[in-house]
Amino acid sequence: MHVVALYWQAIVDGGGVDLELTAIAVAVSVVVGILAAVGRIYGGKLLGGAITVYVEIIRGLPPILQLFIIYFGLSQFQINLSSFSAGLLWLVLYGVGYAVEIFRAGIEAVSVGQREAADALGLTRVQALRKIILPQAWMVMLPSLMTFLVLQVKNTTLLYLVGIADIMYQARLGTSATEQPAIMYGMAAIAYLIINLTLSRIGSTLERRQALYR
Amino acid sequence: MSTLQLWGQYLPQFLAGLVVSLQLTGAALVLALALGTLLVLARTGRIRILAAIATGYVEVFRAVPVLVLLFTAYYSLAQLGLRLPGFWAGVVALGAFYGTLYGEDMRSGLQSVDPGQREAAVALGLSNGAVMRRVVLPQAFLAFLPPGTNELSNLIKDTSLVLTIGVTDLMFQANAAAAATFQPMDMFLLAGVVYFAFYILLSRILARWELNVQRRRS
Repeated sequence: MHVVALYWQAIVDGGGVDLELTAIAVAVSVVVGILAAVGRIYGGKLLGGAITVYVEIIRGLPPILQLFIIYFGLSQFQINLSSFSAGLLWLVLYGVGYAVEIFRAGIEAVSVGQREAADALGLTRVQALRKIILPQAWMVMLPSLMTFLVLQVKNTTLLYLVGIADIMYQARLGTSATEQPAIMYGMAAIAYLIINLTLSRIGSTLERRQALYR
Repeated sequence: MSTLQLWGQYLPQFLAGLVVSLQLTGAALVLALALGTLLVLARTGRIRILAAIATGYVEVFRAVPVLVLLFTAYYSLAQLGLRLPGFWAGVVALGAFYGTLYGEDMRSGLQSVDPGQREAAVALGLSNGAVMRRVVLPQAFLAFLPPGTNELSNLIKDTSLVLTIGVTDLMFQANAAAAATFQPMDMFLLAGVVYFAFYILLSRILARWELNVQRRRS
């Protein structure tokens, strides 16, 4: 059991790296995702089409392949990104692809009548989005946004492949030093379990609180 | 060598990798559907303790990343005396995770059937088995199809994780070719084309199948 005592600090450090990357990536992809969703719905054929193709590519390719294209693939053109920036860039690009769809579904779930009423009242499109549509879409989107957050935490497990010192990286390092994979990957599993179950608890609490305002 | 020549040279290897990816997908899908069915039976059944175990299983396995499950199936089980070949470790890990998703999809499919349908069937004198087989399940299946096929395309993508334990799937072949040719972008793009072509093909086929099933039923 002294293996646990020896390595738990490393796992916690790795968890910090994972959470930091997830937080930055999710924040960026939510902002870009809203803009892209608006672009997809109101942006006309060309912009909307381009965004749709982007979403399809992100959804159609395996995450590992996307990460390798950014980290190893770009090096063929002498673009050498650091582990951290390659990992973050991938999380953002991937996240935007998912966030667009979440926001689009949320915005489209708000009834057309609401949009027309805002128009009739003389609100501009931006005002209508900010004051009428997004606040209502928010409630529809909350569950999928929490799923998205958990998905991104899970995606950080791939980052050890490009050398980011996340939980998996620490667990593998510990495994090669101690030859105790059961304990090391058990610790990793528990770390992810704690993070993700906490996130989904927060999500369901938020949902319940939001439901009160309906 | 030009990119196209390289692609031509490596394509057979990539297709051999794709076959492994598909075998992995098929085996994992069978395991996931079986496990999902068991989970639904346990969660909707009368035995409390089984329902609690199934609920706990779903909560835990949905929260743990597939890669951790994969390493557990491959390395940890070996330490504990159960040495699985890489391919089967992949099947177990993917099946264990996707079983929770399929279980949830089946459950919501069942719940989407209006209780009135069941009551009407009972009132018409159908036996319990016939109610399930002829009234409830066909309708539940319709509701299950869209999320179920969506999960399948995610499963195919997730098979690429077995690269990390040395199973020679499509992703593994791409990675090996990238290292051998020093042209990683070319090789990963080829892998991307193969994955993407397959993804588009499969989603079109599944979408058509869904439409067919819906038409026949309505």
